[in-house]
This record gives sequence, C-alpha cells and structure tokens, in this order.
Amino acid sequence: MQFSESFDVIVVGGGHAGTEAALASARSGRRTLLLTHNVETLGQMSCNPSIGGIGKGHLVREVDALGGAMAAATDEAGIQFRILNSSKGPAVRATRAQADRLLYKHAIRTRLENRRNLLIFQQSVADLTLDGERVAGVVTELGLRFSARAVVLTTGTFLSGLIHVGLKNYQAGRAGDPPSISLALRLRELKLPVGRLKTGTPPRLDGRSIDFSKLTEQPGDTPVPVFSFMGSAAQHPAQMPCWITHTSAHTHDIIRAGLDRSPMFTGVIEGIGPRYCPSIEDKISRFADKTSHQIFLEPEGLTVNEYYPNGISTSLPFDVQCNLVHSITGLENVHITRPGYAIEYDYFDPRGLKSSLETKAIQGLFFAGQINGTTGYEEAAAQGLLAGINAARLAAGEDAWCPRRSEAYLGVLVDDLITRGVSEPYRMFTSRAEYRLSLREDNADLRLTEIGRTLGIVDDARWCRFETKRAAVSRECERLRTSWVNPRIVARHECERVVGQALEREYTLQDLLRRPAVTYETLMTLPGAGPAVGDAQVAEQVEIQAKYQGYIERQQVEINRQEAYEMTRFPAGLDYREVHGLSIEVQQKLNKHRPETLGQAARISGITPAAISLLLVHLKRGFSDAKKIA
Amino acid sequence: MANDAIVAIATAPGRGAIGVVRVSGPHLAPFLLALVNKVVIARHATRADFRNADGGLIDQGLVLYFPAPHSYTGEDVIELQGHGGPVVMQLLVARCVELGARLAEPGEFTKRAFLNDKLDLAQAESVADLIDATTAEAARCALRSLQGDFSRQIDAMVSDLVGLRILVEATLDFPEEELDVLDNSNTQGKLAAVREQLARVIETSRRGSLLRDGIHVVLAGQPNVGKSSLMNRLAGSARAIVTDIPGTTRDAIRETIAIQGIPLHLIDTAGLREPQDEVETIGISRTWEAISEADLVLWVSDMTRPETHDIDPTLAGRLSLGVRYLHVLNKCDLMPPSSGGGQADHVSKVHISALTGVGIEQLRNSVLDIMGWSGGSETTFMARARHMQALKSAQNHLDAALLCVGRLELFAEELTLAQRALSSITGEFTADDLLGEIFSRFCIGK
Repeated sequence: MQFSESFDVIVVGGGHAGTEAALASARSGRRTLLLTHNVETLGQMSCNPSIGGIGKGHLVREVDALGGAMAAATDEAGIQFRILNSSKGPAVRATRAQADRLLYKHAIRTRLENRRNLLIFQQSVADLTLDGERVAGVVTELGLRFSARAVVLTTGTFLSGLIHVGLKNYQAGRAGDPPSISLALRLRELKLPVGRLKTGTPPRLDGRSIDFSKLTEQPGDTPVPVFSFMGSAAQHPAQMPCWITHTSAHTHDIIRAGLDRSPMFTGVIEGIGPRYCPSIEDKISRFADKTSHQIFLEPEGLTVNEYYPNGISTSLPFDVQCNLVHSITGLENVHITRPGYAIEYDYFDPRGLKSSLETKAIQGLFFAGQINGTTGYEEAAAQGLLAGINAARLAAGEDAWCPRRSEAYLGVLVDDLITRGVSEPYRMFTSRAEYRLSLREDNADLRLTEIGRTLGIVDDARWCRFETKRAAVSRECERLRTSWVNPRIVARHECERVVGQALEREYTLQDLLRRPAVTYETLMTLPGAGPAVGDAQVAEQVEIQAKYQGYIERQQVEINRQEAYEMTRFPAGLDYREVHGLSIEVQQKLNKHRPETLGQAARISGITPAAISLLLVHLKRGFSDAKKIA
Repeated sequence: MANDAIVAIATAPGRGAIGVVRVSGPHLAPFLLALVNKVVIARHATRADFRNADGGLIDQGLVLYFPAPHSYTGEDVIELQGHGGPVVMQLLVARCVELGARLAEPGEFTKRAFLNDKLDLAQAESVADLIDATTAEAARCALRSLQGDFSRQIDAMVSDLVGLRILVEATLDFPEEELDVLDNSNTQGKLAAVREQLARVIETSRRGSLLRDGIHVVLAGQPNVGKSSLMNRLAGSARAIVTDIPGTTRDAIRETIAIQGIPLHLIDTAGLREPQDEVETIGISRTWEAISEADLVLWVSDMTRPETHDIDPTLAGRLSLGVRYLHVLNKCDLMPPSSGGGQADHVSKVHISALTGVGIEQLRNSVLDIMGWSGGSETTFMARARHMQALKSAQNHLDAALLCVGRLELFAEELTLAQRALSSITGEFTADDLLGEIFSRFCIGK
C-alpha cells in the first residue's frame, strides 16, 4: 500500500544519528518522516550511559551550535558532569556527562514529538525504492510504501546484526531488538562496498549488590559544568558519583582460562573491533604484563539500580563473565542483570560517500552513523545532523553544506571517512584535527552558529543569545586592546601581584593578558582595568582569544594556503585515465574513490603532490579548452 | 591561486659567468625592498648589492623586477643576476628563503605560468611532461641526498620525536586511562635529546654538503696505470711523485682543485694489488678508507693493458649505493688514432691521456655531470637544500616547544609541526599512524 502523504526526507532509524537527522531536516522546514522499528527506543543509549569526552565533547558542542538536540538533552538528563583535561589547555578541554538513560530518552522523544514538520512512524524498513539511480522512497516490512526525495539511513548495528556470547550467537540489532536482515540484503544487492565491524558491551550490574565501601568514589566537578550553549546547571537533575575499581591477577587468570570459548579468540567473529575500546579479554592478551585494569562503575540512572562497568566489555561465555565479575573488588557478590556481548554488523565503505554524506552511487540516499564505520553516540549525532541538513537541502534543490577540516570536528570526521576509509570503527580524537587549537569546545558557537542560521536550522532564541555573546566578546577584546596600563600610575606592587613582575613600560591590557601567568579574572583586579564582563562564557572567550592569537593566526595562514585546493572541484564524470602523466596506480585510486575536490584527492593515501600538480594542470587545461570553444 | 613566494636558481648550476636566481609570488614589493634595500624600477636593470641578514655582502649584480601580471609566471617576479658560481647562487637562494620564500617544487615556475594563462595550449602540453620528468629527477636526487648516515640520523631522530609525541598525545586524548605517562617520563629530557640530535644532523649535513666541502674524488686503480699523473694533470702541478715503478704512491695524497667554481678534493691512492711490504699494506688500507668517504671514484686503467680495465671486484663490492664511479682509460696517446681521446660513453667511460692532456676537459665535465652539477634545475644539492630547509623548520618548532613545556596543547602543537616538517623528508606520518603507535604502546580503552 502506498502511504498517502509524500515526504521531502525520510530518516530510517531512531538512534543518535537518526534523531538528529530528523530534527535537522524538520528544522530546515522540510516535511520529514522518522521511521523506527520501535518508538519506545527513540534516543536509546545502547552502550555506556555517557555523552562527551575528549574529541566527542567537541562534536556535541558543534551539534549544539547548529541547533541539535544532544547537548540540551544531556543537560536535562545528566547525573554527573566533568571537564576533562581542564589543566591542559582550552583546545583539548572537553565536557563529559553521565546520563540517566530514561531521562535522556525522554528529552529526545519530547523534542521529536513537538517538532513541527516531523512525523514519527513505527515500522521496520525492508527495502528502498529507486527511480533509476536516484532514491524514491522506502518499503516497510508490512509492505507500506513511503515516497520521498531523500532518504537517510541510520541503521546502527542493525544491518545483519549478529550477537555473540561465548560460542553461542544469534541475529539481533542489539540485545532485545530484532536485526534488519532484508534491508541489509537489499543494500548488498545494490553493490555498495560492504564490510563487517564488531563492537561490544559489558555485563550490567545490580547496584544493590555492589559493595561501594570498598570502591573509590569519583564525584562530578563543582561548579557543575553545562553542555549546551543554551543550557544552565539549573536544568540538571540530582547528581550521582561514579565509582572506580580494578581487575586483579585472579580476574586475568579466569579470563585466560575461558579464552578457548571466546568467539574473538576462536575466530568465530570476523568483524574488526576498535583498538581503543577493546574487550577485557583482548586487553589482558595484548598487554599481558599489566596486572590490573581500571574499571569505572557508571550509574545508569536516578530511578534504576543498574550500573555499567566501563572497562570490561566482553563476549566470553556467561559463566566466565560471572566469575570474572565476582573476582573484582566490590563486586564479589554482585548480581548481573544483563550479560555482556559482542555484536557484528554491516557497514559500507565511507569512501563511497560525498562530503555531504550522500552516497555517490545513489542520488538522494544518505548514510549516517555506524553504517559508515564509525562508533560513538557523538560521532553518530554529528553525522546525523549533517545528513539531515543535506537531505533537506537536496529535497529543496539547494547545494549541500560540507564543513571543512578547518571549521569543525564534523569536517574532520567526514573528511577522514570519505578520503581514508576505515580499518576499524572510527572514533574522534583531538589528535586527528590538524587545526586543533582553532577547533575548541568553547568556540563551537563562534565557528558554526552563524552558518547554522544561514542554513535555517538555528532558531531565534539561540541566534539572539549568540549575537549578544559575540558582540560582548568583540567589545571586550576591543576595550582590552585599547586600554593602557601605565606603570607610573598603577602601583608597582599591584603590577607585581597581577602580572608577576613590575612593568618597565606601558602595556595594553591585551598585551598583559597574553602572558601565560595572567588570567582575565586576576587582570580585572588591577586598579583601573575593570569592569570585568559579567558573562563567564564571554570572559573565557576573551582570555582564550588573547592567549592563542599568535597560534590561531599561524593556523589561519595555513588554512588559507589550503583553501584553493578545497575550492577546486573536479567535474562530474572526469576520467582520470585521461590525465596526462598520472601513474596507473594513482589513476586507479582516483577512478575508484572519485574525490570531489583537489583537497580531498590530496588526502587520499598514495596521492603525491606531483599528482596534484598534474590534476591541477589537467583541470586548467580543460577550462582553457572550454573557453576557447566558447 | 598560489599565495606564497617561491625561489630557485634559473640558470644551470656551475656553468657560465652569470647566474640568475628567480623569485615568484604575490606582492613581492616589500620582499624586494628588504632584499636590495633600494627602490627598483619595474622592468629596468638596476645595479644592487645583495646582502645577507647581517649586512655582509653576498654579491653585487643586477636586479630586475617584473610586477604582475606582466611577467613569466603572471605573478610578481624578481630576477637576481649574480656571478655564476654555485656558492653565490646558493647564498642568494638562502637569503630569499630567509625573507620568506620557499624552494620551488620541480616545474613550479612553469606550472604557475600555465595556471595564470601565460602559456599557450601548445606550450601547456609540455607542462605535465615537465612536472613528470622533474619530479622523477627530484625523487632520484632526494634519494641520493638521503643515502648513508644522513638518512640514518634523520630516521633515528624521527623515531625519538614520535616517541615523545606518543606520550604527549596519549596524555591529551586519553586522560582517564591511568597512563600518567608524562609524569613518569622525562619530557624535557626527551625534547632536549631530540633537539641535540637535530642540531647534530644539521651540523654534519652542512659539513658534508657539497657546497661547503666540495666533492670527494678518489683516484683508484691498479698500480702504475697513471693515477698520480692524472692527479698532477688535474691539479696543474707536480703534486704527486710519478715514476715507472709500480707502487710508488704509498700514502693517499690530497689536493683541492676547482672545476667551474665547485671545489673538488682529489685523493690519489696507492694502487690496489697484493701488498709487497708493510708500508704498502698501510697505504692500501688508507686507499680503502679514502674510498669509503668518497662521493666519486675515478677508476683509472691503462689502455695498453686490458688486464687493468676491470674494476677491482672488492672495490665494486664496496661502492655503497651513493658512490658513483667513472672509468678513466688513460694513456690513449699510446693507442692507434682511431681510439682517440675525449670519447665518452654515457659519462661512465672517458678516454684520456694524462701525459698530453687529451680528454681532460671532457673528464672535468663528466665529473660535474655525474655529480649532478649540470643540466636541469634539480640536483642533489637542491634536494639536500630542501632537506635542510625541512630540518631547520623542525628546529624552529622544537625551539618553540621548549618555550611552552608547561602548556601541553601548545607543546603538542609545536611537536606536531616539527614532525610534519621532518615527514616531508621521511614520508607521510598520519594522525592514524600516531594513534596506531599509541594503541600498540598503551592499553587504551575503558
């Protein structure tokens, strides 16, 4: 049966990618349908109950700066907030929060249900309908046909999902949910380049049976951090601590004794797992000399007793899981509420995507999240947002928005995926960003909110708040730049107190703030330096901009240098065999991956600077030829 | 679309009375003023002093300024005409680099001319070929520059720098992993060690560079084939004792000469044969020492004695990859006229007579050719200059790193940039490579 209404955009999947995609598309003003196999699991955190962290927090802030839901939902659901790397510098500083699963789901669902232009429908998608090489809609398991100009697939681990516990395995999308088998088969038929990845999760524990008296408490930060640029600590529910314990040599013995029944070590699992998030059996095998591993016990929520033991993800048989958990301090008598497991799933080589996240093979079909070989809620949300924006733009006949590596972690993420592909589930790290000093959590709004406004996805409230902040920052920077401190007027001991030494000549307040030892707060206590701005976000921005000015300017020079390459687009249908002088290997690589710009081509491994010069000459020649004919 | 200035020697190196250094880029007026410290009228030859940063005179010559778009590349172009010697040319290039230009990539001037519509389509056809050919040549030159100790030292240094970066980046990206790697390891000491290594590499490679020290040429061959006569002929003086008695030369004799301004250190050696006495034994072992330090070996043989032609198998085995050799067939004056002097066979063979001087000019040219001092613009020297530029850039970043040891992300930034500079020599090292190193070193993952 054909569903009566036609949509601009259909989003398949209701996880972190799907919900951001649906919200972004609807915010863009496009008629959007979110299809999920189960409305109750919209916004579900399938793995650990936490949002953010190094690199990931950066992505969450960027999603927020573009009007996305993740940071705001975390502010409403977060039961512990911390700032990581607080002493290591603003660029690597990142927010991390434990979230109450139920509150988080509630916060997301509330946003979805109240979003104008967005409909939700519960049905598993079994097939795509195509019109030549462009997508026309989807077909559900019941045979309902929905038509749309663009479709975003955010299928997570559901495509041919296979769960392993010991040597037992069964098909599932995640524990308790059915897999997507027919859709996976259909996508394989479309000749998209498919691969298998693996991820895992630990057994969950009943908090009533944990002996907390033996554990180290890890409280959140005070004052309590806030995630969203629009958020406040007043939105946070009651706060809870995490707890720290360790595995022992005995734990490791138990694990080693169970390896003969491990699906990982017996070769039953073919998919590749992430090296930075290994199972406990992997950790003790690869780092055999380490006698103990740290485990964080993370509360799952205010109204449930479950704890998530972060650090012992495992697919060992359940009896081994029980023994290993019971060998850990504080968990001697713990009751396991859910077994740990590994899951294998299909992903598609992201080198088959454009930087808009549209597939190169099928027009109007977008992929976001784990289907692209990434891992993590934050990576998924960021891609979902981008895919949602661009699906909406495609439906409206507008050009895609593709953030650059120099603009956002979102740009780094997508560019890494489409130019280098993945060899394991891809996770964001700050070391992946060559312009790390410019891509900070604190300036995500300054980098992106204006773009978001232009794209039509930033609402009036956010825009108004942003403009106020931006104006205040530039006003205060200007004041510091033009206010002089004269050592003959300001008392010597005051200068020594604030600056650490006497001043030998006049300096501007900005000069003084650039010194490593001087903070904005102390500087404002210098007689005549005030008044300080009241907004802490503004003060922070003023201080960072002053201190990092030299570095940021240097990065800007480099960014400008690369700009021309990023702007140079290859014509559609360019046959690289016709590019004079390119080696066969380079021709094949380029013909296979078909980069969109010269900048992307340069980042494909094995593409040399000389090859880029040759491409440049070829493009220029084509242009000259065309001009001549015209 | 280019936004940086590039510099290169435009004339073939080592040849001619006049040499031209060319600079191209946007807005070169301030650059020009800083370079010659006087106002230069566009498209007029202006006499100028070329000075280094300290005000010391490098050369006096002519400067020509072609403002965009009326220039070869379509950008602002400066041409410095100086005296043709390679030393002066290199110093001028170094000065331009100091003022912010970078060494041009192979074929880059032509590429820019092409991209700025300065070449017609027919000429443009050859641009790709030029890039292709010069890139291949540059790659060969880079490989030669990277042979021997230089490359080993750079590899060692890169691996230490990676070691330090692993610690820093792991601390930044994995703060919750109980690594405490930086607390337990001596960051400052490690940085100091890498800086020391870098300074040493820069110093030795400067010392070893052809420009400063010239080419080490060893004359080798069987006894009494005329090595010492050739030495004297090249040096223009009776530096070595010449007799008819095989084994006259007992010790390596050194002499420095110049061919077209390039210093050549000639080392005459004891003839290679079974030693007859202890003095000769020592002499022959010094021959081997000299050969091991050589840039070029001239294998001298006696045309009248074919048994002297074949290169000594031990010598052939000992010639390391970077050392080239040239077969010099001496005493062509004793042969029938048909086998006249001066013939060269792909520069690997030259017929000469040390006695009459026939073929000596050809030999001189062959020596320069084979050492990469003639022909196109890409030479081993340019390759080494590029490598030196990368090393110095790395040094600047490591110096800057020293100033921000306490500020970890800035420290990390400088280390990253230092490594990026070195990677231009040793090959790409991606963020993924670094993460791979981290994961193999530390047990990451909660």
